[in-house]
This record gives sequence, C-alpha cells and structure tokens, in this order.
Amino acid sequence: MNRAIHLSALLLLAASTARGEVPSPGMPTFEHDVRPIFREHCFDCHGASEEKSGGLDLRLARLLLQGGDSGPAIVAGQPAESYLIERVRSHEMPPGEANLTDAQIATLERWVVSGARTARPEPETIGPGIGISPEERAFWSFQPIHRPTVPSYEPDGGVRTAIDAFLWRAMQSHGLTFSTDADRRTLMLRAYFDLVGLPPTDEQAARFFSDDSPDAYENLIDELLESPHYGERWARHWLDIAGYADSEGANNVDAPRGWAWKYRDYVIQSLNDDKPFDQFIVEQLSGDELAGPREGDLTPRQIELLTATGLLRMAADGTGSGGDSPEGRNQVIADTIKIVSTSLLGLSVACAQCHDHRYDPILQTDYYGLRAVFEPALDWQNWKTPAQRLVSLYTDDERTRAAQLEAEAQAVGAEKAEKQAAFITAALEKELEKFDDTLREQLRTAYRTPGDQRTPEQVALLKQYPSVNISPGNLYQYNQAAADELKSYDARMNEIRGKKPLEEFLRVVIEPNDHSPITHLFHRGDHRQPTTPIPPAALTVCCPENSVTRFADDNPDMPSTGRRLAFARWLTSGQHPLVARVIVNRVWQHHFGRGIVDTPADFGRLGGRPTHPELLDWLAADFVAGGWSLKQLHKRIMMSMAYRQSSYRRAEADAIDPDNRFYWRKSVVRLEAEALRDRMLAATGQLDRALFGPPANVAEDDTGQVIVDAGSRRRSLYIRQRRSQPVALLQAFDSPVMTTNCERRTSSTVAPQSLMLMNGSFVLQQAQQLAARTSAALDGESSDSEQWENLQEPPPPGLMQRVSRAWQLAYCREISTEESELAAGFLHDQLATISSGSVALPEGMSPLDQAMTNLCQALLTSNEFLYVD
Amino acid sequence: MNHETDACDCSSLSAPVTRRRFLAENALGIGTVALATLLQQDGALATPPSVPRERPTFNLKPKRPPQEPQATAMISLFQHGGPAHMDLLDPKPELSKYSGTDYPGDITFSFVNRATKQLFGSPWKFAPRGQCGTEVSELLPHVAEIVDDICVVRSMHTGANGHEVSIRYFHGGIPGVLGRPTLGSWLVYGLGTESQDLPAYMVLTDPGGHPVDGANNWSNGFMPPLFHGTVLRPQEPRILNLDAPAHLRGELQRQNLDFLRALNERHLERHPAEADLEARIASYELAANMQEAAREALDISGETKATHTMYGLDHDATREYGTRCLIARRLVERGVRFVQLFLGGQPWDNHSNIRESLPAICRRTDLPSAALVQDLKQRGLLDTTVVHWGGEIGRLPVTENHGDPTKCGRDHNGQGFSMWLAGGGFRGGVTYGETDEFGHRAAVDVVTPNDYQATLMHLFGLDPTQLVYHHNGQAQTLTNGRNARVVREILRQPPADDRPADAQLAG
Repeated sequence: MNRAIHLSALLLLAASTARGEVPSPGMPTFEHDVRPIFREHCFDCHGASEEKSGGLDLRLARLLLQGGDSGPAIVAGQPAESYLIERVRSHEMPPGEANLTDAQIATLERWVVSGARTARPEPETIGPGIGISPEERAFWSFQPIHRPTVPSYEPDGGVRTAIDAFLWRAMQSHGLTFSTDADRRTLMLRAYFDLVGLPPTDEQAARFFSDDSPDAYENLIDELLESPHYGERWARHWLDIAGYADSEGANNVDAPRGWAWKYRDYVIQSLNDDKPFDQFIVEQLSGDELAGPREGDLTPRQIELLTATGLLRMAADGTGSGGDSPEGRNQVIADTIKIVSTSLLGLSVACAQCHDHRYDPILQTDYYGLRAVFEPALDWQNWKTPAQRLVSLYTDDERTRAAQLEAEAQAVGAEKAEKQAAFITAALEKELEKFDDTLREQLRTAYRTPGDQRTPEQVALLKQYPSVNISPGNLYQYNQAAADELKSYDARMNEIRGKKPLEEFLRVVIEPNDHSPITHLFHRGDHRQPTTPIPPAALTVCCPENSVTRFADDNPDMPSTGRRLAFARWLTSGQHPLVARVIVNRVWQHHFGRGIVDTPADFGRLGGRPTHPELLDWLAADFVAGGWSLKQLHKRIMMSMAYRQSSYRRAEADAIDPDNRFYWRKSVVRLEAEALRDRMLAATGQLDRALFGPPANVAEDDTGQVIVDAGSRRRSLYIRQRRSQPVALLQAFDSPVMTTNCERRTSSTVAPQSLMLMNGSFVLQQAQQLAARTSAALDGESSDSEQWENLQEPPPPGLMQRVSRAWQLAYCREISTEESELAAGFLHDQLATISSGSVALPEGMSPLDQAMTNLCQALLTSNEFLYVD
Repeated sequence: MNHETDACDCSSLSAPVTRRRFLAENALGIGTVALATLLQQDGALATPPSVPRERPTFNLKPKRPPQEPQATAMISLFQHGGPAHMDLLDPKPELSKYSGTDYPGDITFSFVNRATKQLFGSPWKFAPRGQCGTEVSELLPHVAEIVDDICVVRSMHTGANGHEVSIRYFHGGIPGVLGRPTLGSWLVYGLGTESQDLPAYMVLTDPGGHPVDGANNWSNGFMPPLFHGTVLRPQEPRILNLDAPAHLRGELQRQNLDFLRALNERHLERHPAEADLEARIASYELAANMQEAAREALDISGETKATHTMYGLDHDATREYGTRCLIARRLVERGVRFVQLFLGGQPWDNHSNIRESLPAICRRTDLPSAALVQDLKQRGLLDTTVVHWGGEIGRLPVTENHGDPTKCGRDHNGQGFSMWLAGGGFRGGVTYGETDEFGHRAAVDVVTPNDYQATLMHLFGLDPTQLVYHHNGQAQTLTNGRNARVVREILRQPPADDRPADAQLAG
C-alpha cells in the first residue's frame, strides 16, 4: 500500500513536470532541470564517451564547477561569469544544427543564479557513460506493474465492473456520471464490429433479439469470441503494428513477397485459439529456437512455430531486389528492431542507434544490447536474402512422390521424343523424294548436321530449299495426325506433373547452428565504424536499479544461441514494466477508439501520459494473472458500464468534458477501411467468408486506381497488400501503406472519400447488388406488386417491402414510418425524373432498378452505415 | 546509399520544440496575460489534468498564420532531372575559357564509369537581360524577358548527387527519407485553403507519365490523407471519381445527395454536436461542389485568344505545358493554396546528347513558365503568389563522355545548382549566391532545400520550427530541426529582427 502511494506520487510528479503545468517545486536542481537539457544536447561530447571534448564533463554539477580546458564551466550564482552560459547564448554550443531554446537557456541561468544546486549529494566517483538518473528511472512507464486495489464506489454510480470503479472515481470528482445503457441493437452492433468486424446476419440478429435472458449480452460476447471471424478482425490490428505486407518494399521494385500470408494465417489462428499472449509473443520472437531440430518431416507444431517467426521478416527489405548492400541489410535490421520495440515495448528505441536517447533513458549500449539479441539470426555479415529464407513445406513422402511423378513424366517425354524423331524422319524422307539423288543426299547431310557445324554451303542449301527444314514446331504442316498424337504426350506429361503435391513455403527466421557473432556498438550508428563489443541484454531502465539483465551469449543446451528465446521469456515473465501495459492499452484503444495512453507505440517522455494510470495497471496485472488471455480481456472490457453505455451526448456532461476523456459516454467511431468494405459486402450478400489462404490479387483499372482484381469478394484482410499498390478504396479510408509499420491509424473525413462513395465503381456495384438482393427476397424475379406504374397513387406494397428489406440489410433494423415516407418520396422523384425522358439508363436497367439502386447507395454511404454508435 | 534515415537523423529529435513545451519551460518568464492568451489558442486551459493531448481534428478551413503573410499561394514548376545550370542560369566564363582542359579539384560523380575531368564550357551564349542585367542563356529567351521579376538563386546545394535523395530533401525536408509530408502538405496543414470547393493541394502530372519517385512527390507522409496532393490527371478523368456515371449526373444525383443528406440529418439528431458526423455531411457537399468547381476551373475555353497565345497554346512544342501553366493560374485564382507541375520521368537528366536534349526541354517549358509569371503579374496576383522553377540538382561542369564528343552530356551535381523564384515577397531582378568559378560547388551564400523551405514558410507567415505535427508522440516539423535559414537577402521585406536569421529560427 505504501508502495502504491509512493508510486502514484511519483507518477503525479513525473506527469506534471513533464507537461509543465506545475513549475518545479522550489529551486531548480541539476538532476531535475539541467540534466535533461544536457541529455538532449550536450552529453554526446561531454559525458557519454571516454573522451570529453575540451576536457569538460557535464555529468555532475561539481564537474561543471570544476570545468575543463577553458576553465570552470559555471560560477554558482553568477550567470554572467559562467562560460557555459555564454557559449550556449551565442549559439556556439552545441555546434552544428541544433541550438538550445531560449527557454532551456533561461532554465540553465535560473539554475546558476540560484546556486547550481543538486537534489542530493553527488557520488564521489562516476563510471563510464551517462547512466540513468533516479529522476529518469522514476518515469511512470518504467515502474513495475502492481495490481492496484479496486476503488470503492457508490452503489448508484452505475458501476458494473472493476474497470468502471476506476473510471467512476476519476469521473465523480469532476461531477460526471456514466450514461445509461445503450439499446440492445446498438450493443449488438458494437459487439459484432468490435469482435468480428462484420454485421450480424438476419438469423444472428434474430437469435439475439429473441434471447430474453438477463445474460443475453454476455452470451453474445461469448458466441462472438468463438467465431472464426474474431481472429480475422483482431489479426488486422496486430498486422498493422507488425508491418504486414505482401511485397518487399524498400525500393521501386517492390518485389512480391510470396508467402507472407502464411504468417497472417498464423496470427488469425493463434487469436482464434486464444493462444496465451505471452506464448504468442515468444513464438513470434523465437519460434525457430523452440521448434527444435528437424527430424524428417516438419511436424505441424514445428510448422506453426516457424511460421510465427514471420514477424521478424516483415520489415521492408530490398536486399533481394537490387538493394543487397551493407546499408540495405543494416536498414532491415533496424526496421525489425523498430517493429519489435514499438509493438511490444511501446518505445521508439531507434534514436539510440546513433547516440544515447535524447529524451528517454535508453543508452546507445542498450540499443546494441537489443540488437545483439537478434544478431545471430539477422547477421548483416552473413545475410540471407528473401529468397534464401524460404522453407519448403514438402514432407519426405511428398518429395519422393514428386520425384517419382517427375520421373514418370520424363519417361513419357522420352517416349515422345523418340516418336517425334521418327515422325520427322518420315516426313523428311517423304519430302526428299521430291529431289534427285545427289541433291537429296546433300540436303539430308545438311539437315542432319547440327546447326552450329554446318558449312556455309549447307546453310545456303537449306535456305534455298526451305521445305526441308522440318522441325517439331512445323511438323503439323507435313503430318497433322502425327502432330496431334505428339500433343497427347504433352497432355499426359502435364497430367502426371499435375499430380505432384503442391509445394508451399514459409518465410522464416532460422538461426544457423553454432553461429554466435559479436555485436559491436556502431559509432554514430555507422556500420563502418564498429567500436565496443556489446553482449545481448535487456534495456537497462526496464531492469531493477543497479542491475542489468544479460542474456547468455550462447545457450549450451540449444543448437542456436537461445538469445531470442531468453529475451522473449524475459519480456513475458510478468515482471516487465512495459509489455503487458502496451498490449492491454492497444486492446483498449481498439474498443474505445483511443488508448488509455494515446501514443500506443511511445510510452516514453515524448509520448502521452495515461489518462487512468491505475486502471491501466489493473488491466495489465489482471491480464497477466489471468494467463494472458486476450479473449478474457475483451470480455472484461465489454462487460463494463463504460463500454455498454450509450454514445449520446448529454449537455451537462458535454459542458464539462466535451472530448469524453473521462468515459462518461461511449464514443462514436468510424469503421476502419477494411470493416467498411466488408460491411458493404456482407450487406449485399456478396461476402466470401472463407478463411485463410493466398491473397486476392489487385489490379489497376482504366484510370490507374488500384482495385481488387477479378471481382474477389474476400474479406479485406485477404487482399494483397503490395506496398506500391494500395487499394484506392481502402487507402482513402486510412488503411496504412506500410513503410515500416503502422502504430496508430488516422481517421480522416475528407472530400475524396465522399467522391469515392458517390462515384467509385465498387460502391456503385454494391448498391446495385443490394437493390437486387431486396428483390430476391421476394422470391426471385421482380413481381408486378412492386411496379409503381401510376405515380399519382401510393407506392405499391411490394416496393415498400423491398425498401424495408434494404433497411434491414444495411442497418440491421426495421424502417420507421417516417423513413418509409422519406424513401417513398425519394423513389417517386426518381421515377418521375427518369420517366420524363431526360435520363438514358444503361441497357437492362429498368427505372425502378435504378431508383432502388440509388436508394441502396444512399444507405451504404450514410453515416449510420459508416459509424458505430 | 541513404544512410541518413529517420532512425539516424536524430537531429530531428533535438531541435523541434513544440509551442506547448516552449510555453511550459518559459512559464515563469512570460507575462501572465500573454501566457493565458497563448494557452487558450492551444486549447490548453480547458485540459483537465493528467489527460492526453486530444487527438486533433483536421480540416482545410483557412487559418491565419502567426505572422502577416506576404504569399498566400504557390505554384511550383518542378524540373525533375537536374537542369544544367551552367547552360541556363549560371554563366561561367572561366569554364568556357578552360573548356577541354582538366578540372583541377575533386569532383563528386554519380556515374564513375563514364566520368571524365574534362571541363565542358557551355555551348550556349549568355547575355545580360532586362533592366537588372541578370545573365541568362540563349536557351531561355522567354525567361530572359522576366528577369526583372525573378530572383535567380545560383548557390543551391543538396550535398548529394542522387535524384531521389535530393527530390525527397526538397519535398520532405530530409535527404533521401521517404514517408514524410511534402512542402505542399505542410502549407495546407498550416494554412488550410481559401477554396472549399477545390482541393487545397493540387498536382498537375505530365501526359508522359509520373516523375521519378512517383506519387511520393505529393505524399502526405505521416499526416492524414487530407493533406495529400490531389492529382489532376493530364487526361479524363482529370480527378478520380469526380463524376458520376453519365446517366446519374444532374437531377438524379441531386436527388441522391438530398436523400443521403436527409438520412444523415436524421442520424445526427440522435448524435447532436458529433463533429465527425457533421464533417462527413459537409464533406459530401464539398465533393458535390467540387464537381462543378473543378469542371469550371479546368475549362480554359473562356480564356482570351491573347492568353492562349501567351501560354503557347498555338504551338505543338508548348501547348501541353502551357495548358497546365494556365490551369495552375486558374486554380490559384480560385483559392487553391499549392499547385505543383511535374514532368514525366526526368527530361533534364541530360547525361548524353545534351546539345539536342537540353534545347528540346527548354523549348517545351521556357515560354509557358515565363508566361505564367507575366500573366500573374498583369492580373495583380504575382505579389501574393510564389512561382518556383527548379530541379532537385544541377549538372557537372565536366563532360560525361560517350566516346563521341557530339554525344556528350553532363553528370549529376548536387553540390551546386540554380533555381529561380518569383512573386509572393521575393525580390525581382536579383541573383543570389555563387558557385565556384567552374560551377561545380555552391561557394558563396549557400542555400539548401531546408533554407528554401524556411524562406517559403516565412513568406506564408509561418515559422517552420513552430509549425508542428505530432506523430507518434513526436513533434515533427518540415525542416526537422535541421539548419534552416530564412534567406532574407532575397526578400522584399526581410524579417524585422536584426539577429542572424538562422539564430532567430533556431531559437
């Protein structure tokens, strides 16, 4: 308990000073106020390295007083006498591009004026490097995760679960309360889109509405968590941060990446299985080390584990397409580390590639310690290009079988060759009969002489008598029957070869056995300037104070080094301050549209602070204690009042917290690009619900826009993600174009989206499909009862049935009376306009079809369709 | 290659300072009233404690820049490939004098296999033009007529010879790095647009295809797609998805949109004040208006005969580029903020046959480019419209020999090259900066793409170090914390501050 208070006090301190809303209490101190400035601008030359420029070391206040070659850097109380102040004021220091801001200079001056104080006595001695100060270590995200006590709450506060209790406590001090429950239909749609990314079918909706039990909503969540489409929906979220793409990127070639989809399918399956997330992490980072040696065929488990390592092969990689240079290779390694660190650590460690991180306590040695974890597998001096990383999934039996079949085919081929030779000889002899004996013999000899050995006379001769040049290609001109017979051999060979088992591949990381290269720190990140060897290790700030977590260079019990496995186990030990927080924050973000920390990939000083730090920790602790079950986490969140409440704004709460930072209502969210396309296909009945498999192709239409090829109606997750060919519809709605990975999507509202929805060919097609589907509901052909011949009369009932069916399919609800009238008025106007003769409809399109299509398009592009309440 | 990536270029992290942070750190030193005002502008006072920055909403409404702007629009005539400055805008008598002898110093080549050190004096003559006497090559007879209105910068420097490296430097602020918003994105992000019926940032592409680096030339990078350049294609459909299929246009589409609006308004009644829902309703209106506005803006049939002639629409060589220059003027007239013209491939990349290929691309672009400046001037638009003409690099003073001296060309040169700027607050009739005596390296008053960007931003009333976009928790700026100097010497009204411009910007 004491610890918890202490922790929250620290959090408050860190948060407030970093935001600058509360000035530092009392006098400025070296540790608190000055060191961050030096860290940002000065330590590279005056502290981090052995050699200190000008003999000046800025790591301790007393070293400043002591000074360097030019004398003392500061004189306490005397900024005008302080050389350091003079140098930074004149912008002579730091040298080069960046200067201190006026505010930073003012801080330095204030500190000098007030006596150059320190927060505590400085150590007698100081080791190498800039280290990590207690102030830096005290930053909120590096604190161990402790499960906070659930706050008490008042019974009428609307609190349903522990989550609500945390939210309620923060809310009530601001005079806010939860909203009332959302209606059942809204809850149903929320649950469907959040968990499976698809609307309910008619039957599913009917089943939910007919379930009168108090547990109906909970049952719905359970049911949806068991849906195979759950894995598809949540795989998309993970693939964003994993940087999934079906092409290599990195240069203009953007070579296809053939088997990446196996990793995509692995993610779907793992999520569907509710594979404990710690295991999911370990497999992706070190599946090859877990898989053990291959003995004969790969086992299904080995295949799964190897597939998992696809994560480490997601970075853009031009080394197989013209970019195989030291720079290219090191870039792939850097990008892979970025993917791992942003997805799991919630930190951008990339800055520390060149120097100690300017803002976060991540040392350059930390970066290379992390790199050393991956070096045996991703070794730029022992590189595998993309083509060399493929592992065939052939079993020995399949390979044998394939070889047998190949031999069989070749036997047929030999038979064919023999037959062909005979046919040609026969044809030749027959042709030669046309010539006299001498010429015949000359021609025969010329013909039989291999092409490159013919004398000039022979070449000339054959040119002179072209009809003698009989070849397999023109044999049919001499003997059609023979040619046909030969073709039957080809067919047989194809048939035999067609029986070969399909050879599939995985794109994997497999660390070579007994390969333990030494990682060197690169001076300024330059691979041409390797310096100190660095052992594999955890980020220092994530380890308890005064300790470091090293991973063995080489685990003697394994053929590989075991570095990644050790790293993965440490990440998932439950002791790591970041991993669980980062994961639960991401899940929260996908349910509420915003994370508890709004920078999901940056939990550092430049990132956002948690709105509800204790809730974040409670969720993280609960997640770990509950066995890292994602599905349980979803249910925890979705059973809360925070999630179940209405999204309607209440004026009195809106006045206090218009941005809903306290969760007094559920926020309205726009469907992501993929969910939008999938919803359209589901509404029109076109959706292909098949799971897994190779991606659907993309192509460019007449105008150069990238579309899904050949009318594939698969879920958007399965569309080929070529980095250089983003599908126009999806890109317009903010689906990421992967350069490295996507940490958080934007949600934009722009006119090109509207143009796409008004005039884009996909949407126009879907509108037509939906219109046709409303008609099909009336048993096939459109019937007389829906024709509206006389516009003076009310609309025929058959037509209005179609309209209400359209409402049901698009919105999953019944049409209201007012809406019915609105729709009838619209159809009336459309039919009147069309019948006035000014509109030339496409062939086969009746006026009613067109009017219904236009009505359906409005539904598919309306806000009720694009947003989830 | 491009070792300088976002991972390494950590100057990005050291210099940009958000206004918020500036205020925070300076909180004790600034007057309370001023502080409150500044915070209010930032929306900071309404922020409850311990909550994140609100996820901002983005729009294109016109925004008042922090300083009084001199420019309100810009047309950039981007010349991909590297125009040979010593043959066009930067006369080099010493080069002519020593032509045929070897260059004495070090040269940074791109194509070492064809490299020579043999100096290659310009085959074309220069002469002083206009009142100001700026020397321009005979290859640019029409630009020669506008020299009193333009500022020729002769000391451009990217430091890298590669096309992509330098192109990305010009557009995105860091050499070689992809995935960043372009200059147009930043201007539109900072200023919005006067026309809500036309895209704020428009790109006019060449019938010959995309330039090198393709759509990256107008990418919004990490910003929302709102700030992506809208491509005006060289043939129909000029704007993708702009028009409904023929049978739906007119009355039917109006009914469709009315019906959609009715549905959306019923929905909004249940969600009053939901900004995104309102924005989407508005965006349909914008889209519908855009159909009309774009059609009108692209229709040049109403322009006078004189205007057609002026832009070279009567001649095959100039018709295409002239049409695009004319459309660019029409767009700016209608409130579009940033227009950029591209050429297909890189026609200025004259590695060989420079004696034929350089005059050819000059013939195509010279008259229309000059006409644009003249036309803007006669309409009173030049004062507020920047016109930029330039490529990403220049060319070497030595010959790139293909064995046959008549077939020779020039290799890439990112060390020194020229561009010209007009209008929007730039001084006319001046030259700025110098390359060395042979034209290889920028030697005096060096201007980098970052300086160019800072200068433009200044003219638009923006400060490139203060116009910040938050991406992944990091404050991003166009010039990314790199040295970026407002080139005050070429401005009509240089910044009032008498400190060195770079110091002012960096502070």
